[in-house]
Amino acid sequence: MPPLNYFVVESPDEVGRDAYERIAADVLQDLDLIKVIDRLHIYVDPNVPIFVAAGVLRHMPRAIRVADFANVNRGENEIVLDIGDETYLAPLLQRLWLLFGKENVEQPDRFTVVLPAGVSGEEDLEQMVVANPSETLYKDVIYALQYIAPEGFKVRRQYIREGRFYYVASEDTLPADIVKRMVVPICEKMGVTL
Amino acid sequence: MTTLVPVTYKGGVYRHDEIMDLIEDLGGYIVQKHVMAQDVVLQSFVPRDDIDLIREVAKPLAGEVIEAPLVGTEIAVVSPSLEIHHLPHTSCDIAEYLRSAGAKTNMVGLARGFGKRIANLNDEERDVINEHDLAVYVLGSFEECIRQKFPVLRRGIHVPIIVTGAPDRETLMRIIDPPVEGYVGSIGRIMHRFKRPEELAKLDELVDEVSRTLDARRDALARDPLSVFPPRLMAIVEEQIHEVTMLTHPTPVTVQMEGLRVKLPYDMYADAVRALEVTDGVTVGDIADVTPSRMRNYILIRIKPFSETRILV
Repeated sequence: MPPLNYFVVESPDEVGRDAYERIAADVLQDLDLIKVIDRLHIYVDPNVPIFVAAGVLRHMPRAIRVADFANVNRGENEIVLDIGDETYLAPLLQRLWLLFGKENVEQPDRFTVVLPAGVSGEEDLEQMVVANPSETLYKDVIYALQYIAPEGFKVRRQYIREGRFYYVASEDTLPADIVKRMVVPICEKMGVTL
Repeated sequence: MTTLVPVTYKGGVYRHDEIMDLIEDLGGYIVQKHVMAQDVVLQSFVPRDDIDLIREVAKPLAGEVIEAPLVGTEIAVVSPSLEIHHLPHTSCDIAEYLRSAGAKTNMVGLARGFGKRIANLNDEERDVINEHDLAVYVLGSFEECIRQKFPVLRRGIHVPIIVTGAPDRETLMRIIDPPVEGYVGSIGRIMHRFKRPEELAKLDELVDEVSRTLDARRDALARDPLSVFPPRLMAIVEEQIHEVTMLTHPTPVTVQMEGLRVKLPYDMYADAVRALEVTDGVTVGDIADVTPSRMRNYILIRIKPFSETRILV
């Protein structure tokens, strides 16, 4: 795993600490979040019981536009979109159908989409936003933390805003001041204020 | 008396029936046959003196005969949870590895096994685990959780138990009271498939621990032998109740160390099984308890020891 700028796992149980370090690394790698998370601090203590994860996101991925994965070739009668990467083809087709009508969008093969020339809105086709990965990123980060936490810790509190996030979970009811008592000091260690 | 030893035969499909005939002619038993595409795996018991003969016959067929200590045993791999939360599951790798050593393994995922405060074991889970020869408990990463949970998860279990978890062997031995039959440390919650050499070494250690425990049980059985050798009873059931051959289960009749699980409905077939003649004048009902299994509606046969029946077939 390529290192996060800050990655610390703390636990009074030394063996458990090592295990959770490996678990966190595996999960972040599997969910492809290493590039997204900049700093992560995990504290887990089964005696309390409590699991706290807090961190900072690196940068939000920007919106994907047509020009990012396709060439737009304007001809006399038609516009040919030459698709380089199929990842966002499905949302692109959805957008095109909505804008130009299904009967005007032809797809002779997997990597080609043909539109008639002169339809309204074709001018800024290159800059059209097709998908926004950051919309689902928040969910992915929280899902990853839920996945890392021990299974029995079902009571949880989560927060993700402006690039900072925390996730607190326990088997028992969480006290009202848990964020102040446990999360804030951890964030301070990373040099972050909530 | 010839001693039957558990072995695995691995070879191609081509002419494997000759090996099967040979094993049966030598007085051995085939407990399980797996055909996977071009390959055949036979889990069997063969006379110790004839292993070389089988190796010789198998040579031109590129087949190999390996000693497999766990053939003829049914093992429960018990995990506090089989939730998506833990995928890929450690217990899957463990069950698979025990299978490669010849055991028939069943995975038992507890309904309420997670959480150290709320973990429990219900009566169905307890009874199902008790129908096996041995239970492997696949536990997690924290010493404190194992200490609190394990006494609850083992309540009412009387088959030998092997515990695995992230703490090392010595710690497991220290925190588990009363002691169980075996311990394998440094496994715990692993979120990837077992692939590193040290992880695979742990699986080998587990197989050693399981076979050591089962060998101890075999020694005890040798002192007061069962009225009939389970694989022999299996051959009789398969020969005389033809419905068994129509079942699609991988092991329609599962051999255990002290009995059999027959995957036919108890209500319809129990009397037929009891009335089966094992040898002249001796029926299954005379030498074994035929009871309903807690696993679906199967039949569980527990063979009684010689000391109880005064019959040795």
